[in-house]
Amino acid sequence: MRYVRDDLAAPGLTRIVHRVDTVALGRETHYDAGVLTVSPAEAKQLAADPALREVRVSWASPGEPVRIVKVLDAVEPRAKGANGGGVFPGVLGPVKPVGTGETHVLRGVAVVAAGFLPRAQEAVADLAGPAAALSPLGRTHNLVVEFSPANGATWEAVEAALRRALCRLAARLASAALDAPPDAVEHLPGPARRAGRGLPRVGAITNLQTQGSFKDTFVYGRSFGPSMPALVDPNELDDGAVVSGQYGHPGLKNPTYLYQNHPVVATLRRRDGDDLRFAGLVLCPEPVEQDRKELVSAHAARLCAIAGFDAMVVTKEGGGNADADMALKMDALEALGIPAVGLFAEMAGADGTGPPVVVAPTRATAMVSTGNYDQVVSLPALARAVGGERVDLVDRPATASLELPTAVLYCALSPLGWGRLTCQEAS
Amino acid sequence: MTRIVHYLNQFFAGVGAEEAAGSPPASSAGPAGPGRRLGTLLGPGYEIVATVWCGDDHATAPGAVDEILTLIRAAQPDLVVAGPAFTSGRYGLACARVAAAAGDAGLLALAAMHEDNPGVDEAGAIPVVASGPSARTMGPSLERLAAAAQKLAQGEPLTGEDGRLNRPARRGVLTERTGAERAVDLVLARLGGDQAATEIPLPRFQPVSPAGPVDPATAVVALLTEGGLVPDGNPDRLESARATRWLRYPLPPKGELPVGDYCSIHGGFSTAWANEDPHRILPLDVATDLEREGLVGRLHPEYLVTTGNGTSVGNARRFGVEWAAELRRAGIQAVILTST
Repeated sequence: MRYVRDDLAAPGLTRIVHRVDTVALGRETHYDAGVLTVSPAEAKQLAADPALREVRVSWASPGEPVRIVKVLDAVEPRAKGANGGGVFPGVLGPVKPVGTGETHVLRGVAVVAAGFLPRAQEAVADLAGPAAALSPLGRTHNLVVEFSPANGATWEAVEAALRRALCRLAARLASAALDAPPDAVEHLPGPARRAGRGLPRVGAITNLQTQGSFKDTFVYGRSFGPSMPALVDPNELDDGAVVSGQYGHPGLKNPTYLYQNHPVVATLRRRDGDDLRFAGLVLCPEPVEQDRKELVSAHAARLCAIAGFDAMVVTKEGGGNADADMALKMDALEALGIPAVGLFAEMAGADGTGPPVVVAPTRATAMVSTGNYDQVVSLPALARAVGGERVDLVDRPATASLELPTAVLYCALSPLGWGRLTCQEAS
Repeated sequence: MTRIVHYLNQFFAGVGAEEAAGSPPASSAGPAGPGRRLGTLLGPGYEIVATVWCGDDHATAPGAVDEILTLIRAAQPDLVVAGPAFTSGRYGLACARVAAAAGDAGLLALAAMHEDNPGVDEAGAIPVVASGPSARTMGPSLERLAAAAQKLAQGEPLTGEDGRLNRPARRGVLTERTGAERAVDLVLARLGGDQAATEIPLPRFQPVSPAGPVDPATAVVALLTEGGLVPDGNPDRLESARATRWLRYPLPPKGELPVGDYCSIHGGFSTAWANEDPHRILPLDVATDLEREGLVGRLHPEYLVTTGNGTSVGNARRFGVEWAAELRRAGIQAVILTST
């Protein structure tokens, strides 16, 4: 039987990709032939909010001897039309379903917030030296947004203002390339509606951390905390349906940038039609109560069974607490006869000899290691730092040489599978 | 001649049982207790030149391992052998720590205990070989320990075949393929029938048998928490995540924690409500009421605290054993441990 793809699939999304090789600050925000210029005055205006007294922007680019400290969220510039409409629904605009049509992407750029928020565990991203390869920000030109809270503003209001500011800036920067000729055009079909050529239908379960203020994730602008698992078109993430407001566990953080470029989704898409059919994406909250964790996990597994998925890749955000969501979900899937693979960071102590995970599945056994959370990495002194003057965790100047656990390096243990770290037994 | 120092607890050194658990470290020349049989099994070419022992409770106290190591080094050993500790938690932990400290000091070292002993995960890169569950299995346990010690002394690595329980250290490496790509490879391997494929060996978690019931009306009860509740300003700098230690603070005599005098530094939850009323983390108010009403015999005047957020299982287990020893020393029969 001839293998047919597009006529079985959902409408799909087209990415119009514009590469950015050079960045600058200037009088006007402008994109031309790989050069992105940002007007600081316009950026400040876009980020303005009653909760923010002051906003500063600067560039930090790959290979420069610069360290971003107190990294919060990172967002990739994307736009669907003039004035930034259509992306980040529920944050910037109305909550209309997204994930179809055309989306302009500024590839090679991230808009990054850096500074103090309560409950935000300090994150570090080096753009040069050995740790640069451990963070997605080591590869992108980063427009770093620093801020001072307004007098009397609640921290919750400051956080919401930052979240809106990053999305607004990201949409504005991408809209500068709306009329530019694309460097690449990528068509992303919707998920397969039924199996083709006898290939297994493999999907992804993505647990979103939902543990209250400053540790929350927003879907169509609302906290996903009270929700049940939802089967979504992965293309919705491309248009910013999932926005992070989660600032704990730096090494295990899933920034908005990685939801827009979901590594497991990208891999399943790439292999769709070759050795598997990409079946779809299930978003799940990570509730704090055990009975809710159990309910969500059982429900997610049932949803996958009803949808006829053959196997799932399960991911999380966060540390040991989120391991419980992983273990419950993987076991619930296996109990229904659906093989489950989970991505875990090991928490095996600095010397790598302790038990690797806090809560292990009992039925499922297939786990991918994204590195050891506790392993210490030596960072060299760097000439410049943005985001703060000190790394409070070790009480050192932000530009100094640092000995830090991998857990502190932004996205170094990416639960979404962005990175190349793993662990092996020493011989 | 391989010079060996053998580490034992007070019981196996023949000093005494629980009543001697607080004894400080001491050293005597030559083998003692099970060391005599161990020396015979090791045979010519090996000599147990000294036995160092310490009370089980004392061995978990801060600084005890350093004192023990000083005694060990005074005997100038080539190899340090600790145990077998069977399923005794405090003894196993001491054996593991003493062996790990000896390893850090550049000595060859080896510990022996049952696989359920929490000390197995505390030895770091030092090998721990299996023993039976109790002293009734002393004979075969010593045979395995002697064989492993000989192998180690000859410069050979110990593996599962030698009864090694703890895995070699796992180190971070960069791979060609991303985590996501490897996850999809693994899912396809599973679908292809490979049930064993994984990058992470499943950890061994043993069920814990609860202690027997106590009569609360006569018991001394302690309050413990992993909620990061410390005196305001966090004078001892307890970590908000990835805690490596625990602390002990006196409870205010009036039976309440004044708002503003205490704060939670826990990094895993919003501390606003904890700081608004510290009793939400440490229920001293209701515990004091219960004491007043005679439903609780007596409250221990100190509380123990750590932060349970991103804590490694190894550290969490260690805290548990250290707390148990600390509470036993203080004569406590029951605890209320609040989790966040």
